[in-house]
Amino acid sequence: MRRLLSIFGLSVAGSVLLAAGLPAWAASNSADAPHLHVQLIFPNSHLSQGASSQAGLYFKLEPGWHVYWKNAGDSGEPPHIKWTLPAGITAEPIQFPAPKRLPLGPLMDFGYDNEVLFPFTIDVANAARLGPAALQAKVDWLVCREVCIPGKAELDENVQIGGTASAVSASSSDAALLQRFANSLPVPLPSSAKAIFQPTPTGFRLSVDTGQRETQAAFFPADEDVLDNPSPQTITPTAKGLILDLKKDANLSANPAKLNGVIELSGGRNYELAALPGTVAAAAPPIALSAVAQSFGLAFLGGLLLNLMPCVFPVLFLKGLSLVNSGNEERHKLRAHGFVYTAGILVSFWVLVGALLALRAAGASLGWGFQFQSPVFLALMAGLLFFLGLSLAGQFEIGLTLTSAGGSLAAKQGYTGSFFTGVLAVVVATPCSAPFMGAAIGYALAQPAAVTFAVFTALALGLAAPYLALTLQPAWTRLLPRPGAWMEILRQAISVPIFVTVIWLAWVVAQAYGAPLLAALLVNFLLLAIAGWFLGRWPARRWSTGVAAAFLLVVIAAAFVAPNYLVASPPSNLSSEDARVMEQMASGIAAKGATWQPWSADAVTKYQSQGRPVFVDFTASWCLSCQVNERIALSQPQVQQAFAGANVALLKADWTREDPAITEALTAMGRSGVPVYALYVPGENNPRLLPQVLTPGIVTDALDKLPHGATSASVASSNR
Amino acid sequence: MASIKNSLGFANLSGFARIVGCAALVAATLPLTVLAQAPRVGGPAPTFTATDSRGQTEALSQFKGKYVVLEWHNNGCPYTIKHYESGNMQGLQKQWTAKGVVWFTVISSAPGQQGYVTAIQENDYMARMHASPTAALLDPTGKLGHLYDAKTTPQMIVIDPSGKIVYEGAIDNRATPDQSDIKGADNYLNDALSAAMAGKPVAVDHTRPYGCSVKYAD
Repeated sequence: MRRLLSIFGLSVAGSVLLAAGLPAWAASNSADAPHLHVQLIFPNSHLSQGASSQAGLYFKLEPGWHVYWKNAGDSGEPPHIKWTLPAGITAEPIQFPAPKRLPLGPLMDFGYDNEVLFPFTIDVANAARLGPAALQAKVDWLVCREVCIPGKAELDENVQIGGTASAVSASSSDAALLQRFANSLPVPLPSSAKAIFQPTPTGFRLSVDTGQRETQAAFFPADEDVLDNPSPQTITPTAKGLILDLKKDANLSANPAKLNGVIELSGGRNYELAALPGTVAAAAPPIALSAVAQSFGLAFLGGLLLNLMPCVFPVLFLKGLSLVNSGNEERHKLRAHGFVYTAGILVSFWVLVGALLALRAAGASLGWGFQFQSPVFLALMAGLLFFLGLSLAGQFEIGLTLTSAGGSLAAKQGYTGSFFTGVLAVVVATPCSAPFMGAAIGYALAQPAAVTFAVFTALALGLAAPYLALTLQPAWTRLLPRPGAWMEILRQAISVPIFVTVIWLAWVVAQAYGAPLLAALLVNFLLLAIAGWFLGRWPARRWSTGVAAAFLLVVIAAAFVAPNYLVASPPSNLSSEDARVMEQMASGIAAKGATWQPWSADAVTKYQSQGRPVFVDFTASWCLSCQVNERIALSQPQVQQAFAGANVALLKADWTREDPAITEALTAMGRSGVPVYALYVPGENNPRLLPQVLTPGIVTDALDKLPHGATSASVASSNR
Repeated sequence: MASIKNSLGFANLSGFARIVGCAALVAATLPLTVLAQAPRVGGPAPTFTATDSRGQTEALSQFKGKYVVLEWHNNGCPYTIKHYESGNMQGLQKQWTAKGVVWFTVISSAPGQQGYVTAIQENDYMARMHASPTAALLDPTGKLGHLYDAKTTPQMIVIDPSGKIVYEGAIDNRATPDQSDIKGADNYLNDALSAAMAGKPVAVDHTRPYGCSVKYAD
């Protein structure tokens, strides 16, 4: 090695080539070449007429050096052998034992280290001449460590051709070597086993049923340029085998008809497989620890971000306010409040996930955000926040008079207050399915219950973290201003974002369920204001509290009953087209040239069959990031032009109100919430998914990447 | 963004909600957008600037409107040696740069690894080998190599005048280190450039590059 490098240092490239490429001339059956020893292994030097014998090409490698499998991966070349044989004798191609994954910086090769034997079969015809015969093999290979050195050798094996029943004396050590590697050859998958693959947006989901739970697997693609070789392969054990998630090569334009390769399972079991396309059950329980850890971290981050979301920020404000109030309390009490708040968040997430899991088990096709598809929930939430806003604005003091209503619970002092502030934070956080939470939750919902709980727990901890940190770190608490008259001002100011949230909720109600329900909601607000007036004008009187409670009951009853009478048409009849028109009226942009049509699976199929790319906007009016994306990206003139230029069919799937078909489509893409932007490309089975935050550039780039010839416009531009 | 003000809900949310929301959205998806940039055939060629062996800065953006060839190079790799000792690569460089093609030889070997050269060594090598690329880009950090996901030497990439990658992969279809295999090989680079310049689609637009692995820093 050192010697070779010094030669390279001299840059006498030609002599290197000569040295490296120089055939190791040998009249024997073995040769020593740089970094390896190569040998023909014939356990039996007596071959019989009309019979086949097993033999092998053996490499013994210096430590750290490799030779390669038939698909060498990102670099490297497999060994080749060319025979010169007497008449009547033929050699079958060499066979490749299952390889190893050989990482090399950012690359991944497939090959062997230490030693390897490539078995092959020698066939002797009945007509072959009896007596001694010379079998000549020209072998070439590439041996690499960090550097690669090609090598060649001519190997001769002298054998005796005998009669059909000639007695033989086998070399036992050679036979054992041959046997050892013959055992490591992949065997065809048993007929009882089944292998199918399903293309996903990023690659392939390979399912292999062996009849037992499999916890270890590596898949080696027989074809080059199908998979992204260095990507980790995520294994999901199933009751009867495994599911392996594979990333495809970035340049792969059409999915293969078969996924060919070798799968290596625990205990050195190797199977040759040719998986056919099919549907791989998504409900399989994948417990890849790294993936779980990643989702856990992602969910925690998502939880943290939720603190910044407009629908949570006011609650954090609220909580910060109560922290100010408890500024004089002892440290341990503060800490206890932090933990109770965390507990409140945790418990609500667990209740939520428990309910979700129960619903999922019951086969209900519900996704995240479903709460906001319920008018009852919307009305109650809006009412609660409005009432809270009134109190904050100074109309009345909740703490003095009301102790049991939901909203007041959060404003309560003491541990109960902390706990319910946590609960409130969770409830209002739901609609802000912050961008990448979609992925984490989509992942979590397709997991076993334990993983789902873990992910939601991370989400909860992330949401609780900032406030908890504040209570745990006394130094930060000292930064808080001293209590004083400013508190009243602050409290009143906080009512503003609360009212903003109320307005947003009212807007969602109007968007989804129309003016009659909005009117009912506004009447509810009036009733709440009257209740607040009673509480504020005659504070701490039993009768006034009673009147207010009665008003509140009416409001709650109205929230439950009104939707049954006032929703103009049952949810299933309000087409997404109506929603679109309403939305465009509301936004006043009615984008020119944008011909968004309502989504349906059939529509996608129809446009695809016409060879047109299809872009689907999965959206909902309660989804804040959806609205932002539509306005800053999708409705921008340059994006509209790009859509028109690429002849893209535009479909909008409006999930403002629960739609089983849309829920199903989202689940199929591994998502459980919106926004999702899917670009269906002609010739590709699965849509390309765009990020959940769009810029005009992201969309136009995605359109630029449409295959050549998919549209007249892109052909024209590529010919410039 | 102005149109947002027209919508009832958004007008009132516009202040902190939008700023906080947008900041959070951007922060949340930053990793996603970076991942989405993996180069591929038919897609835009990632822009880069690099220093060549003459000490000049070369930016891909300067060559918009021209065909650009990227050739990953390692003077100690037997597969690269095959194409240089035979004069094949130098011939291709002459032939295509004469037709206005910009040809960058890219050296992504890390210091201490095979094929790493200083500017002086590379100029010396090019003079001795009669190599005539437009420039030899020195990429000891592997930044350019990683940007294009270069795997082997020699690996070829062809970028068309609009800045799209039209070919990526091997130089030809004979994955051997033997000079005798150059004759009669199907040269993918020639095929790609000829077709693209004639306004025809590139029939074989990506192949598995063969050769030595690019010697990146570990």
